[in-house]
Amino acid sequence: MAQSAPDTARKYDLGFARWVYENVEGGDKLSMCMQCGVCSGSCPIGTEMDHGPRKLFMMIRAGMKEAVLTSNTLWNCTKCYRCVVRCPRGVPVTYILGGLGTKAVEMGYVKTEDTVRFSKAFWWSAKTFGRTDERLVTSRYHFSGGFGEGVKKSLANLKIALGMFKAGRLHLGAPHKVKGTKNLQAILAKAQEIEERAGETER
Amino acid sequence: MSDGRGKKYTYYPGCSSQGSGKHLDESLRAIAPELGVELETLDDWNCCGASVGHVGGGTLPNLALTGRNLANAQKQGPQDVLTACAACYLNTHAGNEKIKKDVAMRGRVNEALSAGDLSYDEDLQVRHACEVIVNDVGIDKVKDRVTNPLTGLKVAGYVGCQTVRPFANTDGGGNYDTYDDPEFLDDFTEACGAEAVDFDVKTACCGGAVSVISPEKTLHLIKEILDAAKEADADVIATPCPLCQTNVEMYQDAINKEFGTDFAIPVVFYSQLMAVAFGMDAKDDAALGRNTIRSEKLEKMAK
Ligand code: SF4
Ligand code: SF4
Repeated sequence: MAQSAPDTARKYDLGFARWVYENVEGGDKLSMCMQCGVCSGSCPIGTEMDHGPRKLFMMIRAGMKEAVLTSNTLWNCTKCYRCVVRCPRGVPVTYILGGLGTKAVEMGYVKTEDTVRFSKAFWWSAKTFGRTDERLVTSRYHFSGGFGEGVKKSLANLKIALGMFKAGRLHLGAPHKVKGTKNLQAILAKAQEIEERAGETER
Repeated sequence: MSDGRGKKYTYYPGCSSQGSGKHLDESLRAIAPELGVELETLDDWNCCGASVGHVGGGTLPNLALTGRNLANAQKQGPQDVLTACAACYLNTHAGNEKIKKDVAMRGRVNEALSAGDLSYDEDLQVRHACEVIVNDVGIDKVKDRVTNPLTGLKVAGYVGCQTVRPFANTDGGGNYDTYDDPEFLDDFTEACGAEAVDFDVKTACCGGAVSVISPEKTLHLIKEILDAAKEADADVIATPCPLCQTNVEMYQDAINKEFGTDFAIPVVFYSQLMAVAFGMDAKDDAALGRNTIRSEKLEKMAK
């Protein structure tokens, strides 16, 4: 396989940086990073990240693939794009974090992370109906961690849901759908097939 | 007041328009013709993938969502695509630019689209509603249309992230404002006759999708926004972004519980303010009934 995934058996994989450059969205710009730390300093949610983006990029260079691909930085980034607009070297930080997250899921590094469970519920709705049904995505996500957790999370959200319902912003009844669900699903299936065929997501 | 016909745009409402962000869609559809903006809804529009689609579906399938919307928009004509949702704008604009610039990607997206008998090969422009109001309509036209100035209403203009980042002040993004200290929202407020209060967290982050998924991680971010609005003695917070509106509104109870505060600050869309200032109907046009924290002051001003 030309585009093989990094060696999972070793903790430090010196080919990892190259693999990221070649396979992760925006990764080709990673070599521009000069470790100035503007990204981490601009990040509103650094306190919730086990490594800020600057450090994560250093870890990529050091070949710490497992630590990178299991880092919660990939999931706690809010996509505020502050780092992207401020980086003096034009590194598309947000896109790289997103791309690493997509790869980490594809390669089975992450399964139980909240964002991953939410993303799966979200994609289910997008694929099935062509649209996001906020009610179904939320409840699917809430219950994806088991029944007990689902009940707990749903109860915590009950007041919000009631308020939204009263304001007519919680859609009940049949989900909104695109007319061409078959058309959309054919396109998505084809896109997935192309992606699998290429064995990569980006160039 | 309006001549009914204006410059035409293909309007992409996005998923929140049928749920949590209904009041953005309703008030925008109400004010658009008043500003000479004709919105023709994008036929059979689908989800943009928001900020998590690539994780659940993969990069190319996620981009194919945008490809399908653009292919359908192309069928409707060469006019610009307009969206009011920050995430829809970010994804559709970024996807469009990627498809335009990256020949290999354009080929792959079109190969996927061909499975649905669609193709995208035109250079459409994807634009944000606020940028269109600034550049195509012009603030003066907004001012001219105001018949019911919101005199005395203090508004904290909360722009949020993705409306301006990363595309504001870029060629493809319409060169309409800066991403660090955007002024358009305060300009809208003042055009409506209200007072734009000093608000230095205007491009702070509400936590975005992380707030929806794991609010315990981001309540403190929302609290900073509320603190600043309170400090500025704002009557309402105004925002262009449906996710900002919902996050900052719906978590106030949770924040009060967590931090012992007593926030109950209404969060409205700029388009709701405009509808009220244009003397339009409080319920049908300004959609004021859709806010879960209501602004008595604004409602009293409304017709
Ligand atoms: S701001 Fe840019 S150059 Fe500086 S550390 Fe972050 S990614 Fe690297
Ligand atoms: S986009 Fe993500 S990494 Fe960048 S500053 Fe915002 S939260 Fe931090």
